[in-house]
Amino acid sequence: MTHTQHRWGMAIDLDRCTGCAACVVACHAENNLPVSTPELAAEGRTAHWIRIDRYYQGEFPDVKVKYMPVLCQQCDEAPCEPVCPVYATYHNPEGLNVQVYNRCVGTFYCANNCPYTVRYFNWFAPQWPEPLPLQHNPDVAIRPGGVMEKCTFCIQRIKRSKEDAAQEGRPLADGEVRPACVQSCPAEAMVFGDLNDPESKVSRLAGNGRATKLLEELGTKPKVFYLHKAT
Amino acid sequence: MVARAAAAPSVQPIAYSHKQHLALGLECLDCHSSADTSAAATLPSVRKCMLCHAKVAASNPEIRKLAAFAANHREIPWQRVYGFPPEALVKFPHAPHVRASIACDRCHGDMTKATTAELQVKHTMGTCLGCHRQYKATEDCAACHY
Repeated sequence: MTHTQHRWGMAIDLDRCTGCAACVVACHAENNLPVSTPELAAEGRTAHWIRIDRYYQGEFPDVKVKYMPVLCQQCDEAPCEPVCPVYATYHNPEGLNVQVYNRCVGTFYCANNCPYTVRYFNWFAPQWPEPLPLQHNPDVAIRPGGVMEKCTFCIQRIKRSKEDAAQEGRPLADGEVRPACVQSCPAEAMVFGDLNDPESKVSRLAGNGRATKLLEELGTKPKVFYLHKAT
Repeated sequence: MVARAAAAPSVQPIAYSHKQHLALGLECLDCHSSADTSAAATLPSVRKCMLCHAKVAASNPEIRKLAAFAANHREIPWQRVYGFPPEALVKFPHAPHVRASIACDRCHGDMTKATTAELQVKHTMGTCLGCHRQYKATEDCAACHY
């Protein structure tokens, strides 16, 4: 896969992550995700484009908890893509794994094939209690019922930043594009940027000795890098 | 998806004439002033109209309507003619198209012959893609659908 200009990627420093879930909240607000109810949660139908996985080490009372924010890994060899019968999910020239809501017919094949289980299906048309509809982000589509959705790396923010740079006639600066999760992380554990730029912060972190990829052995070639102290 | 149904000329609150204003030397961007810098082209506020019309043609009955809106500090309830409904799940920014020197009439028709705003060009995906292919612009789905 050749990339024309940018190749977006993310690095998440797990040694910094405190599991505060600010990224989850920010993602909900930014991307017009419906709020869940206890009933939906019991049915496993809550929608989150990013979640915090928890890992417990040791025996009580000497327990250590490790947190891991898991979002769409924007795989270069994405298992979700070849199984879609209507090409609703595909790789775009910037390496993003894109979900086209207009095309999706809701076969669920992509979610079945995602080893990271980061795809979410709209079982029903999304609903928000008042006054939450007033804070919908106009730059992001409100997905109808019956379509699959997932993290977009905040493509609307990528576009906004590129548009700002184009308007000012300058190249996009490293760190200029910040998805909602990255922006909201109080520990600055998440870094977003262009993997095609060897000098970008995310490229340097991806080449760090602490960098690993989630379920790398599956050959999915994720573009999210997790940094943690080797144990 | 097709654009919203055209508003009939009569539903516009004031019989504004594009033809007349363009013939007098005004340009699209003089009133739709954000088209070259942002996603939305925007409509001018009533105060902008009054910059000229406080004096110009003040006795015209249509301009009196305009002055009444201004006096009451109310914006003119123009009926939208172009645009996509939310269920079309499509985003259109004006600025990159203006930067690429795509003339306004390519999508909005020849307004030098039009009076009140009316739908002259249908905005379907075919309209967009035909032009994008001609100018070798992006055909990536995510360019517009996200």
